[in-house]
Amino acid sequence: MRANPGRWSTYFLRRGGDFHEFWREYLNSTNRNILFVLGLGFDPRMCLGYDAVLQAGGKGRRDCKVVELDEGPSSPSLRHSDLTRANGERLEQLVPDGSVKTDTHVAMWSKDGRRVGSRVAANLFSDTKDFADYTDLVIDVSAMPRSVYFPLIGKLLYLEDSSYGRDIASRPPNLHVLVSENAQLDANITDEGIDDDASYVHGFTGNLETEGAAGAPKVWIPILGEKKGPQLERIYNKVLPEEICPLVPMPSGNPRRVDELLIEYRELLFDRLRVEPRNFIYAAEKNPFEVYREVYRTVRRYDRSLKSLGPCQVAISALSSKLLSIGALLAAYELKEQDVGVAHVESQGYYMERQLDTEELKSTELTTLWIAGDCYNE
Amino acid sequence: MREPRNPFRLRSSESIESHSTFLRLFSPGVLGLLQKDGSWNRVQIFRSAPGGGKTSLLRLFTPDSLLTLHDFRAIEEYKDLYNELKALEVISEQGPQVLGILLSCAKNYDELDDLEFDAVHRRRLFYSLLNSRIILAALRSALILRKLNYPNDLARLRILRPSSAHIPSTIPVPCSGLDLHNWASSLEKQVCNAIDSFGSPQVSPLIGQDTLDSLILLQPGFVQLDDAPVAQQTLLMLDDIHKLTSVQRRNLLSGLFDLRLPMGVWIAERLEAMGSEELLAPGAAGREYDEVKLEDYWRREGRPRQFERTLADIAERRARLNPEVEIGSYEGCLQSSLDGSEWEDGFSQALQAVSERIRKRVGATRTYENWVAQVESATGTPRERAIKWRVLEIKIERESRKAQRKLLDLPLPEEGLEEQELSTLKETAELFLASEFEFPYYFGFPRLAKLASSNIEQFLMMAGDLFEEVISAQLLKQPATLPPTRQEDMLEQAAKRRWVEIPNSVPNGRDVMHLLEAICGLCCWETGKPNAPYAPGVTGVAISMTDRAKLTDPSVRGGRQQFARLANALCSCISKNLLEASLDRKQGSRGGEPWMIVYLNRLLCACFGLPLQYGGWRPVKLDELCRYLDQPFSPPRRKGGSK
Repeated sequence: MRANPGRWSTYFLRRGGDFHEFWREYLNSTNRNILFVLGLGFDPRMCLGYDAVLQAGGKGRRDCKVVELDEGPSSPSLRHSDLTRANGERLEQLVPDGSVKTDTHVAMWSKDGRRVGSRVAANLFSDTKDFADYTDLVIDVSAMPRSVYFPLIGKLLYLEDSSYGRDIASRPPNLHVLVSENAQLDANITDEGIDDDASYVHGFTGNLETEGAAGAPKVWIPILGEKKGPQLERIYNKVLPEEICPLVPMPSGNPRRVDELLIEYRELLFDRLRVEPRNFIYAAEKNPFEVYREVYRTVRRYDRSLKSLGPCQVAISALSSKLLSIGALLAAYELKEQDVGVAHVESQGYYMERQLDTEELKSTELTTLWIAGDCYNE
Repeated sequence: MREPRNPFRLRSSESIESHSTFLRLFSPGVLGLLQKDGSWNRVQIFRSAPGGGKTSLLRLFTPDSLLTLHDFRAIEEYKDLYNELKALEVISEQGPQVLGILLSCAKNYDELDDLEFDAVHRRRLFYSLLNSRIILAALRSALILRKLNYPNDLARLRILRPSSAHIPSTIPVPCSGLDLHNWASSLEKQVCNAIDSFGSPQVSPLIGQDTLDSLILLQPGFVQLDDAPVAQQTLLMLDDIHKLTSVQRRNLLSGLFDLRLPMGVWIAERLEAMGSEELLAPGAAGREYDEVKLEDYWRREGRPRQFERTLADIAERRARLNPEVEIGSYEGCLQSSLDGSEWEDGFSQALQAVSERIRKRVGATRTYENWVAQVESATGTPRERAIKWRVLEIKIERESRKAQRKLLDLPLPEEGLEEQELSTLKETAELFLASEFEFPYYFGFPRLAKLASSNIEQFLMMAGDLFEEVISAQLLKQPATLPPTRQEDMLEQAAKRRWVEIPNSVPNGRDVMHLLEAICGLCCWETGKPNAPYAPGVTGVAISMTDRAKLTDPSVRGGRQQFARLANALCSCISKNLLEASLDRKQGSRGGEPWMIVYLNRLLCACFGLPLQYGGWRPVKLDELCRYLDQPFSPPRRKGGSK
């Protein structure tokens, strides 16, 4: 394992007002051809990121790749198909002249009823040629489930890393991740039809599924969020860790948030799973790179401590906001070769209990993370 | 590690990390599922809804569990279990006699089908992966069984090459355990890397087997330590095979049946492994295997009492695990009588109300004179007498509906009802009184056992809630016995939680909820009829086997979307134990059309105030059930139910 603090120990993140300022400066400094990848869904935040980047101005293409998720005819999300359609129409109107919009279908289920969405998402880009014409890739995860954007971003990082250095003249594009955060809206959207069993995200299994490593000690790092009790239980039953280190968002906009999480999960964490209170990890609610750093450090510490027992296996689970889950993704990607995986539970679909009004939507905050490219290259 | 505060919260077998704790909590009664003979040379398939107890049963036969049990065999808490396993010849005074190899199939096997290889290559990769993992699990189990260190002592094992069977030359036997381990581990890694890689999967076309070669190697005698077999019997246990693809599952089962090896192979899977055709179809154990559906086993005639005893044993074992909670017995913590003085007034008032109602109804007629006199002169506690009056009210209602009119107002003779019928009417009367006068109904250990609906995990959930109250009472220095009202409150809360989580946690959750809501509505309406025609109440519906065939016929389902929706919802209900299916049932003793009956999970009955007995069901048509997916139940416009 690397002796230095980690690939993203220094990082680039802008949110709120700084988000708009960054993109204005960035796009107006030189021509940039951008491929914007976003999910098609009922989430009212779907177009906010793309719109904001377009508003930033600048010259160059602003192509858009829309990922349409096919969750099957029983998906609860279909109840909001009118909102999905409206979002699609809005997006059509946004795409500027000279830019191209492509639609890509991701089937979440195989014909025989198995989950295949993660693998299909990873195969949306199979070669560097798929984005050779672009200077920047922007992945907006606001309307995508984790099982899609984890392997998608993982694959893009893999392609970038495997092509970097081969040909200085054709450097891979800059890779940005964009998140629109609105805690109220997140609280209104619930998972429905949660799968009985957890699994590891495609590309992030590590050695966690191998029988050869069956005796190795396992550590589980769940990043806690509200109303995820069934998911926590099912992931636990999959991982069966020897040690659990829950990560909680602190500091947080709600100073009692951690207390509320502990109250919500008291019985599960302390009575049933018997988590040691000193195992808790803390990372700022709005900084995924801090999550990355804390997870990275935790994995390294356990690896050192448990060395005499053999290689330690770590499973990370992102059950909190999408923003924090990016931190988990980065840690898992960097530590992929060191038996670190991502365990999660999928659901049949989502249901939005009520639509937010315009005023409530105004509190949505955009965050951009630059995770690969010029600012990291030497 | 500290003892668990509430031992009932240690739910899944996998999460009980201590072998001694696991054994203490394991009730020997569960072993009744196993056949006494033939377990060691046949394929046995165990099926149930989640939490049915499959994995716990398999875990019992692993080397760690058997060794621990052998070490503790003289300790009282373990004696019963030890003796049961001794009778099965799994363990003896010398130690474990069976090499149990447990392997979960809930891994990445299904992802092989997503790789861009042809079907033949994928099948070979499947067998490769399965064989390598079986071998790795077997080597580990063999070392544990002989109290050696894994992986350091692998070189001490020797694996022979059977002369009577063809083993591919790619498998390096005869060899040491270390060599075989390295070979299997490398093979497994190659396949796993191909599955999980972001790049194109690279798997040598040379690797791959065509059958379950590993099983041939595991026959007794071919795995040796110091020139002696590691064990006399081998038992391979494959858990979670519902996680395989249907093709893989078929290949596995046909591979097992083709080999016909003299070793035990146990397979455990959840009910959803059965496609809607299988779930809705009669289970069929063939000549090649024995099948045990755990919930069906417990529900068969005579077994419910056995299940109750097993649950009682489980509860006692769990309660003892927290030494700080001092109770005589778990059952004893649950008050089970309403004959105490605190209830006398309530039942006296109920008795008064019912008797006045009857007297007002019969008025000056003499028809029921003898019946009324019989009840008036009855003795017993206020509760018993109130029940008798309520039974009388039901009987009068039934009599008054009879078509035949009496010409003369003569008193009917005193009725000596058959024991069974009287018992059933009493149960109905108790339910009606509870509903009308708000007496508790869901309390006491026997009813708690019924509410479990033959599912151990469901029982532990409810029993855990009640035990939480006992712990709180002890903390507050109050008596650790729960009154019936408190028990009922807690059980109703548990029922509501189960109900509310359906859309979240069940596939096709909304359809499932609508369907169940309507079925419950129908059951409540039928149960509440004043004449209680289906005493003690209706708790299920039935479709004809002809209709069932339509649901399982893909061509029929494909043509009607509502049928497909209904089939999916029913399958979700059955696989999650929300509905309990019983097939080819005939109504009455004279036969007639056979039915598929689906009973509500007993915990859902508690949500809707329904009784917990089985037996009462109503036939429904498929179109009616399809309507329930979108519309609630509404009583038909004829004489309906009211209590």
